[in-house]
Amino acid sequence: MLKELFPIRHVVGFISSLLLTAAALSVLVFDLPFGVDMGILIVTAVLQASLQLFLFMHIGEEKTTKTTLYLNIAYALFVGLVTIFGTLYIFVWGWYS
Amino acid sequence: MKLDASRPLEYATEENRNRILGFWIFLGAEIALFSTLFTVYFVLVNRFASGPSGSELFEIGPVLAETFVLLTSSFTIGLAIHAMRHQYKKAAMVFIGVTLLLGLVFLGIEIMEFFTYVHEGATLSTSAFLSSLFVLLGTHGAHVTFGLLWGSAILIQLSRHGFTPETANKSFIFSLYWHFLDVVWIFIFSFVYLKGLM
Repeated sequence: MLKELFPIRHVVGFISSLLLTAAALSVLVFDLPFGVDMGILIVTAVLQASLQLFLFMHIGEEKTTKTTLYLNIAYALFVGLVTIFGTLYIFVWGWYS
Repeated sequence: MKLDASRPLEYATEENRNRILGFWIFLGAEIALFSTLFTVYFVLVNRFASGPSGSELFEIGPVLAETFVLLTSSFTIGLAIHAMRHQYKKAAMVFIGVTLLLGLVFLGIEIMEFFTYVHEGATLSTSAFLSSLFVLLGTHGAHVTFGLLWGSAILIQLSRHGFTPETANKSFIFSLYWHFLDVVWIFIFSFVYLKGLM
């Protein structure tokens, strides 16, 4: 019963998400260069998001819609990243000035 | 309505499968929405005028508490769906209840944070940085608030009807929504708070 209510995959996923949070905190604890800090944040955040998407949200479990879902999320991420980095490129990183 | 017994209840009819697909497409639109809010924040993060900057304003303690509470609630809603698939109605309802309670705690900490900020003179209209911060955090908090109401309504339906193709489908879609809010928070935690305190 306990094993069925707390499946090992979910428990491991939860512990991983806590460990990833702790790993992200290292940017405050250690005095690392800015680029390394940003690298740590990007890697831990992407891993956390993937954990939710694949393990908890079961994005790939329904065969008939699997491809559509992947394409939909990939396209949404593409639009989001272009919005964020395109805008930063123009307004912050100095292309316009 | 044709029931497909080889699939979990929430996928058992064609309508159910379409509803789940439709909700994923909505989540795609939500990704675009939050991307624009993050964009505004990243562009304006250094425009704090005469108000405080992120590193002066943020405190890691409450933010870590919010993160821990939301990660745990994402875990419990996952357990709720797992219990639902094993026909444990009571356990699933308890897990959904715990998820909503954790969501309430998250919201309480966030509201206290907002009070602290405003008390320190950091309001929506103090600077462009704070406007973009409050709009980003507020949109996420509003989503959590809506989730609390939505989840409560589902709990009432579950207690009345148990797990039918309809209520199982609603519960599953709610779990997708809740996990998504956790994903958005991870990015706020990393690129607003941790980056701001670096």
